[in-house]
Amino acid sequence: MGVKTKIMSDHFKRDCFEILTRRAAAGEIDRRSFVKAAALLLSVPVAMRAKMAFAGDQLVIANWGGDAIEAFQKAFGERFTQETGIAVRIDGSGPTEGAIKAQITSGKVIWDVVDADANLGIAFGKEGVLEALDYNVIDRAKIRKGYDYEFGTAGYFFSYVLAYDSAKFSDEAPKSPADFWNVDKFPGKRTMYKWMNGMLEAALLADGVKPEELYPLNIERALAKIEELKPHIISFWGSGAESQQLLLEGEATMGYIWNTRAILLGRDTSDQIKWGYEGGFLNSSTWITPKGNPAGRDNAMRFIASSQDALSQVALFDLLGNGPANPQADALIPDDKKALNCVSPEAEAKQVTLSAEWYADNYSSALEKFLALVSK
Amino acid sequence: MTRSWMRYAILLAPLPLFLVASYVLPFFVVAKWSVTDPEPGLGQYIRIFTDPTVQVVLIRTLRICVIVTLVSVTLAYAIAYNWVFGPPKRQRLIEYCVLIPFWISVLIRAFGWLILLRNNGIINESLMSVGVIKEPLALVRNELGSIIGMTHFLIPFAVFPLASALRQVDPRVPQAASGLGAGRMRIFWTVTLPMTMPGVLGASIIVFVFALGFFITPAILSGGRSVMVAEFIYLQLFQTVNWGLAAAISVVLLVIVAALGALLHKVARLDKLVG
Amino acid sequence: MSANPNSTDKPGRVSAAIVYLTIAFLLMPLLAIVPVSFTGARYLSMPKGNWSLRHYEALITNPVWFDSIKLSLGIALASAAIATMFAVMFGLGLWYVRNRFSTMLAALVFLPMVMPPVVSAIILYFFETSLIDIAPWIGFDSIGGVILAHVVVATPFALVTFMVSLSQIDRRIDMAARGLGASLWQSIFWIILPNARFGIISAAFFAFILSWEEISVTLFITSFNVVTLPRQMWNGMRDNIDPAIAAISVILISLTVLGILGRDLWRWQRARVAKAA
Repeated sequence: MGVKTKIMSDHFKRDCFEILTRRAAAGEIDRRSFVKAAALLLSVPVAMRAKMAFAGDQLVIANWGGDAIEAFQKAFGERFTQETGIAVRIDGSGPTEGAIKAQITSGKVIWDVVDADANLGIAFGKEGVLEALDYNVIDRAKIRKGYDYEFGTAGYFFSYVLAYDSAKFSDEAPKSPADFWNVDKFPGKRTMYKWMNGMLEAALLADGVKPEELYPLNIERALAKIEELKPHIISFWGSGAESQQLLLEGEATMGYIWNTRAILLGRDTSDQIKWGYEGGFLNSSTWITPKGNPAGRDNAMRFIASSQDALSQVALFDLLGNGPANPQADALIPDDKKALNCVSPEAEAKQVTLSAEWYADNYSSALEKFLALVSK
Repeated sequence: MTRSWMRYAILLAPLPLFLVASYVLPFFVVAKWSVTDPEPGLGQYIRIFTDPTVQVVLIRTLRICVIVTLVSVTLAYAIAYNWVFGPPKRQRLIEYCVLIPFWISVLIRAFGWLILLRNNGIINESLMSVGVIKEPLALVRNELGSIIGMTHFLIPFAVFPLASALRQVDPRVPQAASGLGAGRMRIFWTVTLPMTMPGVLGASIIVFVFALGFFITPAILSGGRSVMVAEFIYLQLFQTVNWGLAAAISVVLLVIVAALGALLHKVARLDKLVG
Repeated sequence: MSANPNSTDKPGRVSAAIVYLTIAFLLMPLLAIVPVSFTGARYLSMPKGNWSLRHYEALITNPVWFDSIKLSLGIALASAAIATMFAVMFGLGLWYVRNRFSTMLAALVFLPMVMPPVVSAIILYFFETSLIDIAPWIGFDSIGGVILAHVVVATPFALVTFMVSLSQIDRRIDMAARGLGASLWQSIFWIILPNARFGIISAAFFAFILSWEEISVTLFITSFNVVTLPRQMWNGMRDNIDPAIAAISVILISLTVLGILGRDLWRWQRARVAKAA
């Protein structure tokens, strides 16, 4: 009889718990009451409690780590927790395509919202493993035009920009991919991005392709152009820190690096390292939500919607230098910093925007060829 | 008879049971991809044997691993030898130098090597200021950089098995050889070294397979250029997401190492390791 | 610890020269690192006049570093203990039983060593996520799970180290002991293990270091609940390398030096007391 009662009570508790989590997830009860009620049910078995930690009271964001962990928490996490009572936790291990696929394959999704490369939203979306975004919750007006995809929406923007050591080129500044390739006029070692984004485009532009005729990229032609420059490339940087180091220590005189790093470099060298958006390549990052995410689809959508807030977007710009995904945020940026915004209309006009659609279809095969060339 | 067999089973069984459950069975799940992903068939294996990119990576990896193993084990032997038989002061110095590098994160070590070896690094600048060289030597951001960084990482790892082998050499044996009139070099080559061969083999195995799996150090110190197999597999798993190829290369790697092991077994009597 | 001060296999001049060169090689990047930990900049760099203790300060004021050091220490100790136990048992088994079957078992056991760590990462990821529902304490993103993974990765290396030392033991001492009536266990505990103690210590030390440094697998089987020291350091492969890592290295090096000095001092003291008595 004792055993039977126990099973009954476990069932009952489980049921109570489910109701509780669902209501908490739906925002019907605040976090404090949820915790209180959950405490009453604290005799639930350990396994269930483990699940409780996974669902309901927290939302997990996957990003690329480093300073971005704290910055995401400040810019997005705190607002969301204030709005919903749901704690935001950030996993900075880096949501590479393989890592996302592993999670989906294992059937144990632990990320609710993923800061992924834009092409992945399209590619994984086609495979049917992502939640379609709920544009009743997410506001299309708060997304730059063309970035409200079915399975993802821009979280922020960043650029690959041409940065150079102004002490080495005092007469004339390199401004374009053609200058980057011109080793006679601008001698010195270069550095390029190891994971290819933007580099093929730079090569093609340097080779005379018109910006509007870039896509679909002619990979072979781009690679041939890169091979030409390869003896002058000191290093293919794989991390932001690496690119910064190369220019800072004078190992490279010129490089295609992230604008966020370029901003830091300018600051740290009192503008000896100069850069601009001219000849740069604009890229977006995308919020995606894998199907079966632990906090539920609704919470993920609410987080994405909350992150669109112009103040949050400006906060992220302040902390990391990422361009706001919400166009209304541009106006909130202080005047002296407006020029740093990679996605302002002026900056956008100077740059080529990378085509997420092209990368969705071609990234893997092109990257393999690119890396084969790099490591030849 | 049965009971004694049981006793040995108690010794032999736990580790394989543990590994079969936690590693070998899950490994088969991964290995299966090599013939199923993206489509059933041997396509990925055919690619390994026909795609020059993969071959370049494999050959480069083997080359670097062999060089690193030879250099590390030789230098580590000298260190271990002096650690065990050297004068007390030198022993203490070695102890510090072997233990200290373990505590430095690989990231920091790689950075330390960059400071030293890069074109405008400490070594090149001092050599140039002394006038030994005019142009900086390319010491890093290439294969040499990888080899230097890996050797540095692996020497301390090789010292330990060698030192424990040397400590177990019965001192009376070399003494006897000496009493019979053998010179120092002769004693080393005919007595000490053969007696510590298991240590040399153990150290070589550790260094070689370690080097095979190396990834971060070569990635930083080679300037992204000389991709080794572990990084190549990383690419296939996480960046280009070609899991079938990653699995197939892992299986091929397994076969290569097993073959090397068998070869070693033939020429160097690997079974000495087992006693 | 000099084995035999009077023997003729004392190292000669050539070997001494090699040793000093190698020592210089081993210490070189170290000399570069110590100043880096005192940089005033927020990124890894040689201080150019901007010396500062800010990264040491950060270590003290930011609890995450201390927490992850404690966690890593615990995980490394547990992993080393378990890995050494596994390695010693299996190594002894191999030493006693030499046949086709045991060779096959040995090949199986070395599998995790041969696989590049990135492959082990994905293998263990799938294994540990499948445990989330059945055994969460050794599943994904749990301390037990990290220990399990580290044991898998470290045990083969510990095994090789132990076997090196085992292989040099003269089988006749075991036979003699058994002939004199010792049981298998008595022979193991009284004769073999004491003779192989250097190997056991080396194996345990190895396993400890491998766990302490492990990142490839850890990065993949943890999320945010279990943040080991290397994971804390690597938080942000794409981002900044925090000079605090250099500061940690300097602190750990200092502790190692103090540890060895302390041991020597203690020995010296003990020797003096013994002499006096």
